Amino acid sequence: MIRFAALVAVVALAPLVVHYPELETQILTFGLLAMSFSLLLGEMGFLSFGQATFNGVGAYAAARVLIDAHAALPLALLVAMLAGAGVAAAIGALASGGRGVYGVMLTFAFNEMAYYAAFQWRDVTGGDNGLRGIPRPDIFGIALDDATRYYYVVAVVVLLAFAAVLRLNASPFGAVLRAIRENEERARSIGFRVARFKVAAFAVSGALAGLAGGLYAELYRFVPLQAIDLDTSTNVVVAALLGGAGSPYGALLGAAIFTVLSDSLSHVWSHWPLIFGIVFCVVVLFFRGGLWSVFDRRSARAAHG
Amino acid sequence: MPRTGDTMAATAPILRTRALVKRFGAHAAVDGVDLDVREGTLHAIIGPNGAGKTTLFNLLSGELRPTSGSVAFRDADVTGRDMTDRSRLGIGRSFQRTNVFPKLTVFENVRLAAQSRTRVSFAAWRGASSLGAVNARGEAVLEEFGLFRERDRIAGELAGGDQRLLELAITLATDPVLLLLDEPSQGLSPDDARALIDRIGGLAERYTIVLIEHNMPLVMRLATTITVMSFGTVLAEGTPDAIRANEAVRAAYLGKRA
Repeated sequence: MIRFAALVAVVALAPLVVHYPELETQILTFGLLAMSFSLLLGEMGFLSFGQATFNGVGAYAAARVLIDAHAALPLALLVAMLAGAGVAAAIGALASGGRGVYGVMLTFAFNEMAYYAAFQWRDVTGGDNGLRGIPRPDIFGIALDDATRYYYVVAVVVLLAFAAVLRLNASPFGAVLRAIRENEERARSIGFRVARFKVAAFAVSGALAGLAGGLYAELYRFVPLQAIDLDTSTNVVVAALLGGAGSPYGALLGAAIFTVLSDSLSHVWSHWPLIFGIVFCVVVLFFRGGLWSVFDRRSARAAHG
Repeated sequence: MPRTGDTMAATAPILRTRALVKRFGAHAAVDGVDLDVREGTLHAIIGPNGAGKTTLFNLLSGELRPTSGSVAFRDADVTGRDMTDRSRLGIGRSFQRTNVFPKLTVFENVRLAAQSRTRVSFAAWRGASSLGAVNARGEAVLEEFGLFRERDRIAGELAGGDQRLLELAITLATDPVLLLLDEPSQGLSPDDARALIDRIGGLAERYTIVLIEHNMPLVMRLATTITVMSFGTVLAEGTPDAIRANEAVRAAYLGKRA
């Protein structure tokens, strides 16, 4: 509770301390995407290499209803969540039965398919030009015409999602996911229908990733093809592991570090991923629960066993 | 099927197999087994290594599907049901190797097993620790197994004997009707094995139990019925006294050990 209050304070004050709301909004949307990943890995033990699929589907879905139907923002975000959840449930049903690395490869393969579908389907996605001209409607009569106001809308949504994830992790459902992570065979033998829980977890993860995509689409009022590409999926994995996939705090921390480093280093040196790679190796080698494990012994233990 | 002595015919069979066969390639690990497990009995299955005991067990629990033949539980055909379904019907099994949720706490291990019998497992908004009946069931099982003081420890850090107890406690927390116990004393020190056996003797008063066990003195003491398997078939079945006196069994199995 104290930690969540501290998080709310940090998120509320960030644009006042460093005024860079576009980057800070990006941290939150990317953080939400990283949380969608760590729900699957940290709780259920499934490594998804395809989170950008759900992110991209959410972004395109939100953009389409905003452009074509002039939908209100809450409705567009709801559509993004449902689209992400639906696609994730379908992919999860196919991929989560695969043992070990096969399941990982399937999420990867579906991501590649989704990318080419988006690339080809120009009428809907804009192809490699991206999808432009997304309106940003008022919300409850308040115009969101500046970046700081939009940041606060995103902040409220992401913090609500964050609280929901904390709640889910402490729920009977979260307990079953950890049972599956720890010992799938035993979970089955005590009567849990494991496949259903996996699909449900994928749907929740897809809803979060879709929501992240919808919020991202409104940030620059533009959906680039990168929203659904494999690089984004890889970045999600890297950011979440960097921060610590054992908790949503770790995912958000990793996303913040990743976003700030890529923003600042890419201006300095075009080969910045090399530096980042070194940082990542150090963290993975010496802080196996991610950086958040330095603050939180519980998530460190979950990662180490 | 050669029968020796009187099998207890007083109660109805709760679990019944007919002409059960499981082939792995050309090899029939279980080759036409008719088994009747009567309600309230402790039914031991013994036999030399490779006799097909564990394969039979996996056919009873639903982990394996038979090549042919049928399994019925409480008069319902469960041949096509998987392990999860059978668990929900009341067939609880424990495993030969210790099979717990290693990084969760001892309490969480049994709490999950109790939770599996409820409808709340998809509730993502409730607190898991606020489920009164589930918690009470978990606590009662830990109390019964003398593990209550270990409730907050990480399961994988318990001593071997306590992990076996926890393994049993998990199975019991699902509130089974029939217990399938696969060599529960395997790998335990003699003291721990004795303690576990006493525990099983106590459970036999409340549950129907099918037990695979190599420890003969133990089996002879606890079992009400013994089925002796050899090469995938039933060699003999009867009370411990009848089995002890059976020449074919002595030749195939007991003679080498006695």
